[in-house]
Amino acid sequence: MTVSLTLSDVTAHYGQTRVLEDLSLHLAAGELVSLLGASGCGKTTTLRLVAGFLTPTSGTITLGDRDLTRLPPHARDIGLVFQTYALFPHLTVADNVAFGLKQRGVSKAERLRRAQEMIERVGLSGFADRYPANLSGGQRQRVALARALVIDPPLLMFDEPLSNLDAKLRVDMRVEIRRLQRATGATALYVTHDQEEAFSISDRVAIMNAGRIEQLGTPEELYSRPANAFVADFVGYENLIPMRAVAEAGDAVRAQMPGGHEIALPRAIWGDPPSRDFLLGARADGLRAAPSGEGIPATLGLRTYLGRAYQYRCDTPAGELVANGPLSAPMDSGSAAVLVPEPEQCCLLPA
Amino acid sequence: MTARTLAWALAMPALLLVLLGLGLPVLATFATTFTGGEGPLAAYAEFFTSRFRRVVLWRTFEVAAVTTLISLVFGFAAAWVVAKSPARLKSWLIIAAVFPLLTGVVVRSFAWLVILGRGGIVNETLLALGAIAEPLSMLYTQGSVIVAMVYLFVPLMILTLVGVLESIPEDLTDAAASLGARPGAAFRQVVLPMAVPGLIVGSVLVFTGSFTSYATPQLLGGEQQMMMGTFLYQRAMVTFDWTGASTIAAVMVVVTLATVLAMSRLAQRLNPVAS
Amino acid sequence: MRRGPHPALAALTVLVFLFLLGPLVIIIGASLSDTSFLTFPPRGLTLDWYQNVFEISAFRRTMVTSFTLATFGTLFSLLLGIPAAYALARYRVQLPRFLANVYVLPVLIPEIVLGFSLMKSVAIGAGVPVMASLLIGHALLVLPYCVRVVGASLNGFDFSVEEAAVSLGCPRWRAFFTVVLPNIKAGVIAAFILAFITSLNDVSVSIFLTGPGVSTLPIQLLAHMEQFFDPTIASVSVLLMGVTVAVMAVIERTLGLTFLTK
Repeated sequence: MTVSLTLSDVTAHYGQTRVLEDLSLHLAAGELVSLLGASGCGKTTTLRLVAGFLTPTSGTITLGDRDLTRLPPHARDIGLVFQTYALFPHLTVADNVAFGLKQRGVSKAERLRRAQEMIERVGLSGFADRYPANLSGGQRQRVALARALVIDPPLLMFDEPLSNLDAKLRVDMRVEIRRLQRATGATALYVTHDQEEAFSISDRVAIMNAGRIEQLGTPEELYSRPANAFVADFVGYENLIPMRAVAEAGDAVRAQMPGGHEIALPRAIWGDPPSRDFLLGARADGLRAAPSGEGIPATLGLRTYLGRAYQYRCDTPAGELVANGPLSAPMDSGSAAVLVPEPEQCCLLPA
Repeated sequence: MTARTLAWALAMPALLLVLLGLGLPVLATFATTFTGGEGPLAAYAEFFTSRFRRVVLWRTFEVAAVTTLISLVFGFAAAWVVAKSPARLKSWLIIAAVFPLLTGVVVRSFAWLVILGRGGIVNETLLALGAIAEPLSMLYTQGSVIVAMVYLFVPLMILTLVGVLESIPEDLTDAAASLGARPGAAFRQVVLPMAVPGLIVGSVLVFTGSFTSYATPQLLGGEQQMMMGTFLYQRAMVTFDWTGASTIAAVMVVVTLATVLAMSRLAQRLNPVAS
Repeated sequence: MRRGPHPALAALTVLVFLFLLGPLVIIIGASLSDTSFLTFPPRGLTLDWYQNVFEISAFRRTMVTSFTLATFGTLFSLLLGIPAAYALARYRVQLPRFLANVYVLPVLIPEIVLGFSLMKSVAIGAGVPVMASLLIGHALLVLPYCVRVVGASLNGFDFSVEEAAVSLGCPRWRAFFTVVLPNIKAGVIAAFILAFITSLNDVSVSIFLTGPGVSTLPIQLLAHMEQFFDPTIASVSVLLMGVTVAVMAVIERTLGLTFLTK
């Protein structure tokens, strides 16, 4: 059974502070959507609202055709994986996994059988009689996963599930989570502050800031076509250069940057600027430092070695910019250079 | 000077205080119980064959057990609410529990003399309401001792349990709810088992405290409701029967230590995780 | 918004706290009554009974005794307890594990048994004077607080700081006073104040050790109560509650009251 999750105009407060403002979000059946943002952006609040630990001030939350908004948490039928795993320390792995089935009145033999089956599925055969205190971080994470999956919930939710694991295990576990989610067909809401994690695991990602969704889209969309300066900065556009369109020259737009320098942006490659004043967003990879050519004049500053390129801090009329240059031709700090924007690594944003 | 010598030199003065001030005198008291009577165990034989002494022992046991049970129920309920309260309210509630705890036993027992006495508030109120014609005699009953004892020990129970309940992560009850556990089920299956060590510590403190109390049974129980503490004092200071008093002391120590040991065993059995 | 506690549970909690504080309010009320017997609510208001406390010489005398005893008993106990707590925290490897438990024995042995045994062996057996016996008894009574509370502070202390001081040329003993002690000051003050109030309120140990001529305030209160039932006792009680308030203020400033829930 796969169902969709819909949040409509959800607003939430902690005391007098508004932490979520008219948030709307729709997850198609079977889809995995991540809420991505820094701490305090409202992503965990959103998850806790869906789980029922918090009640919205206004708005509705529906799962399939069920209105969850006023249901107590225990009646929502959602599989939730906590950041802390929240395993019951006084219960064995098997009893932890069987906990949800027990609440549903499943007979003892049946629930132990199903728990055992799930324990094997997450690769923990032989650990059923251990207590959580005697498991490693990765094993606890698997128990938490098994415990949420065994109740066969139409919606799975993950609250920063991998943040307590070391880097290598994190990569393994996110593949595992994706695989299990696909296999069960459950719709999933995934909360994280780690961009790489969100992009690698999700069908779509919602980037959140100050209680609102800044942009919702596929990882590819967010990466190459950020909707605004916040998202661009978040997904790693190091340079945001203020620009003003000053003239049209055939199929190019001439734009002026602070300091008066003008560059031509061919429409066929760059598209139209979103407004007269706009921002040119460029990753360091998208500003190629070269000794000469058509681009932004710069004086090179500190050089650092990245392995695939050299990176330069550059002094330009538009302020300090970060640009990369080829390994084959290192340039000295203090020398003059031009920074050439590479359209496929750049984007135009509303100011 | 080696670290070992220095460590012992620093630890020694306090150790001597305990050994000479507490160890030797208490051992001497134990010794009296074996040497003071006709034969080695005569003092104990006398203690346990005397109907009066058995009644006192049983009464003390009963009062301590009932006090523990009542404190446990009310203390747990209050501690749960305190632990779940928002920070500011919580600190006020903790102040409200600490205040009586740090106020002396005499003062706190005295309050119940004022409340339960013949001219006390309860009687005055009932008389004014016409519910009774004659003042009730509530003092010097087992009930009055128990009420005052509960009053004495509920704050201790609350403070012990607040600490324990606060250490149970909220995520665990949230997890139970997300897995479909109703509040009652989550309480029984998650909170209660995890609170067991705290419940046991609280119970031990209250039980041993009420079993060995003196001032409260003296003021509210008097001669009629003699308990082990008041009985020990009476034997020692009124009848100067030091062998008898020593025997009472020994029985108190044995009961106290046995309770502590039995309960910590129980705590270990109920909590396999700790081992 | 999070869901609050069940209304029935909240109501029960309110009742529990009324039960805890009500009797103390009643004592305060009774101490102000202008009747010659204890009653609540007070009929007319007067502060005469407070004046009366200081006019009764037995109260004046025992008040002085109690405060002296609590001060010096606690200081004596800290004097022995701080080095012990320091040794336990600093030389964990060199000292046997059971030692920590020996220092808390006074908690395990019923106070009344301690009082009786001290009277029998120390006061009468060894002929130690009343005040000295009381001092030993009270020092023993509060030793567990001293060792435990100071120990809790020391467990949070990073001894490499002390080693740093020694490596910079500071003698060991001076390092203790200039580096360790200032860092555990809160713990020492809290230990003092907890021990002080425990000693001040003690009945079970003192009852055996006080005699004609030397008594403590709680014992004098008990004796007074058996003969008179006037608001003077309520006034003394309110004065003692004032001490409790002061004690709580100090604990709040040093360790925080939540320390008591740990």
